[in-house]
Amino acid sequence: MHRLTLSLATLILAGVAAAQPQPPANTESAQAPPMSSAAERVYEAARPRILQIRTLLQAAGRQSTIGSGFLVAADGLAITNYHVVSQFALDSRTYKLEYLAPDGARGALQLLAIDVAHDLAVVKLDRAGLPYFEFDSRAIAGRLPKGERIYAMGNPLDLGFTIVEGTYNGLVDKSYDERIHFSGAINPGMSGGPVAGSDGRVVGINVAKSLGGESVGFLVPARFASELVERARKGPALTLDKARDEVGRQLGEWQAGFYEALRSQGFKTTLLGPYRGLESSAPWMSCWASTNADALPKARVSVNTTRCSSATGIFVSDRILTGRLDFSYSYFKALDLNSFQFAKEVSSRARGGGGDSDKRLTEQECRDDFVSTAPGRPPLRATWCMRAYREFEGLYNVTLLALTQDRDREAMLAQLTMQGVSHANAVTVGRKFLEAIEWAR
Amino acid sequence: MGTLMWVEVLSHHGDVATRIPIASDEARIGRAFDNDVVVDDPHIAPHHLRIYRGDDGELVAEDVGTLNGLYAEHGGQRVKTLPLAKDPGLRIGRTTLRVRDARRPVAPEKLLTPPRAHARWAGLLGAVLMLILLVLQWLNLTTQPNANAVLLPLLGFVTVLALWTAAWSVLSRIFLGQAQFALMLRIAVTACIALVIWDQVAEYTSFSLAWRDAAEYSGLGAWALLGAACYGHLHAIGPRHMRAAMGLVIALVVAGAAMQYFGRSETRRVIGQRASLGDLKPPEFRILPLASADDFFLKADAAKARVDKARTKEPASGLFGDFDSFD
Repeated sequence: MHRLTLSLATLILAGVAAAQPQPPANTESAQAPPMSSAAERVYEAARPRILQIRTLLQAAGRQSTIGSGFLVAADGLAITNYHVVSQFALDSRTYKLEYLAPDGARGALQLLAIDVAHDLAVVKLDRAGLPYFEFDSRAIAGRLPKGERIYAMGNPLDLGFTIVEGTYNGLVDKSYDERIHFSGAINPGMSGGPVAGSDGRVVGINVAKSLGGESVGFLVPARFASELVERARKGPALTLDKARDEVGRQLGEWQAGFYEALRSQGFKTTLLGPYRGLESSAPWMSCWASTNADALPKARVSVNTTRCSSATGIFVSDRILTGRLDFSYSYFKALDLNSFQFAKEVSSRARGGGGDSDKRLTEQECRDDFVSTAPGRPPLRATWCMRAYREFEGLYNVTLLALTQDRDREAMLAQLTMQGVSHANAVTVGRKFLEAIEWAR
Repeated sequence: MGTLMWVEVLSHHGDVATRIPIASDEARIGRAFDNDVVVDDPHIAPHHLRIYRGDDGELVAEDVGTLNGLYAEHGGQRVKTLPLAKDPGLRIGRTTLRVRDARRPVAPEKLLTPPRAHARWAGLLGAVLMLILLVLQWLNLTTQPNANAVLLPLLGFVTVLALWTAAWSVLSRIFLGQAQFALMLRIAVTACIALVIWDQVAEYTSFSLAWRDAAEYSGLGAWALLGAACYGHLHAIGPRHMRAAMGLVIALVVAGAAMQYFGRSETRRVIGQRASLGDLKPPEFRILPLASADDFFLKADAAKARVDKARTKEPASGLFGDFDSFD
C-alpha cells in the first residue's frame, strides 16, 4: 500500500498563501537554465493571455489561495481549475474571486460553470477584447504524439508568471479519469494554467503533480475545457446559491458513471490461498500484493494481502477528497497459534477506515451479521459501515468487511471501501463481492 | 422481680454507651437526678420522657411536656407518644436512646466464621483468579511468547489488588478496630473473578450474537460489579449505616456508568469509529443463525436510514476539540 501511495499520490496545485515558501534568498548562484527559443516565443505570445486567479477572504480582502488561469475567448471567458475556485464556489459569502493579469491589471471574476469531476471551472473577466488562447485541435482529437515539447505556464508559489518546458507523455495508463502525463516541473500556484504546444495552442491544463516522483505532472486534457466553455456559453450561468447543489449533482453523476464503467468492465475471480474472491477487470484498478513472510520477530500468522485501488480522487474542497474505490483480500493462516489466538490476531487486523471525526460526514454507523450467501459457500462474519456526506444528499462513504468462518485457523478477509457512492451502487458492488467469496479447493 | 426493660443511651457513633436495667414497667427519663435514667444533654428537659406499658402490653414512650419534644430514631416528625414495639429507637434533644423490652426474644446466635477461613478462601480464590488471568493472557497472546509480556501486566494487577485491599483494611481498622485483611482480600478477589468472567461473557456474547453493543457497553455491568464489591467491603466494616453506604455505592455506580457511556459517545465524536469486525472468537462460538445476503443488506438499509437522519442534524463538536484527520 505504501508504494502505491507514493507512486500515485498527487498534490493539488492551488497554492495556499499561508503555506507559501519564501523565494530563495540566494538567487545569484541559481541561474535560469537555458531555454529554447520556442519557449521564448510561446511565452511572449501567451503573456497577455494568462492570469493569476486569487480567492480572497472578503473580511480581510487578502488572498487565501492562488492559482492560474487563461483566457479562451474575446468576451473575457477564462479557464481555471475547479479546485482554484472551490472555496468561492462553496461559500460565496465568505470569499470572492479576483484576477491579476501580467500587466498588473486586476478585477473581479464571475464564476460561470464548474466541472468537479475534471477539476475545471469557467470564469468571466470584467473586461473584454483581450487576446486569448485557442485549443489545439490535435490534442482535442487525441492525436498529439508522445514526446512532443509542450510548455506549462502559470504563477508557481506566487513567484511571478513562469513558463516550464516539458514533454507530452500521452494519457496516464491506469487512470479512470483522463489525465495527461506531463514530464516537467509544475508547482503549487500553477493550477489552472495552460499548457501549450510550440504553436501556442492549448493541449491541457495544469492540475496536479506526483508527490512520489520527480517532475511528474498531470494535466486535464483540453477537450474537457473546450466542452465546459461550450456548456458555459449555452447553459444557464451557475447560480452561486445553488453551487453546492450543483457540486452534489456532479458528484452523483460522476459516481453513477464510474460504477457503470466498473460494471461494464466486468469482474474476474481472484485466488488467494485456498479462497476465491472477486476482482474488477477494469484496467484502471491498480493492484499490489504484500506479505508478512519476512517479518521479524517471526510472525505467528502468515498474512498475504492483495490490494486494489481505483486511485480516483475528486477534489471537492480542501477537506473533501472523494471518489475512491479500494478493495483488498487478506489470507490469514495460523502458523503456531490456536484458534482463540488466531481469532484475536485477525480481529486486530480486520480494521477498515472511517475512523476520523470529520464533521462533513456523519458518524459511522455499522451493522454486523453472520451471513451465508449460498449453500456450500463459507459462512461470513460481515460488517457494513457507512457515513453520509452532510452537504451532498445521497452520497456515502461505505466500508464492507467480510471474514470467512469455515476454518478456525485460516481465513480470508475481504474489505471493500467506496467513497462518495450512492447507496444503491454500494449495495450492488458490495453484494457482488460478498457473494463471490468461496473456498476454492 | 427481675429486669423488665433496658434503656440504652447511644454514643454519637451509634453504639451503646450505657445500658441501664429497669425493674419496673414504667421508667422516667430526663436530666434531673430523680429520674430512673439520667441523660446529660442540655437539650433534654429535667423530666422529659415517661416509658410505660400500653394496653396491648407493648412499651410506649410519652413526652411529658417539653420544649424540644420526642422523635422516632429515624423520624423527622415530632410526636407526643411513640410506640416502641416495632422500633425501639427514639430521639430526645441530641441524644438517641433505645428502650428494649426484656421479654422480647433476641436474634439467634450467629455462626462464627472459623479462624483463618477468610484467609484460606482468599488464597484459593486468588489462585483461581491468577489461573484465569494466565489462561486469558495465553489465549490473547499472538506475538512470540515473552515472559515480560505475561508477567508485567500480572504484576501490575496484583499490585493494584493489594493496594485496594490495603485501603479497605485501613478503613476497617479505623471504624471497626480490626483490619480484616483476609476478608477484604477475599471480597476483592471474588469481585475480580466476577469482573473477568463478566468481561469474557460480554466478549463472547458480542461475537456469538453479532451484537456489538454487548461488548461496547459491558463497562456498565463492570461498574455495577465494582459497586457490589464496595458494598461488600462496607458491609464487612460494619452493618450500621448500610442505607447510606448503599446510596453512596449506587451514586458511584451511576456516575461511573454515565462516565463510561458519555465517554464512549464523546470518543466516537472526537476520534470517530473505525470500521472493524469487533472482537472475533473461533467460529464455533457463533450462536446466531446465518442470515441470507438479503437480510444482511436489509441491515445495510437500516444503517443508511440512520446516517440519513444524522445528516440533517447539526454536528456537535467534541468536548476538547476534535482530532481531525486532515489537520
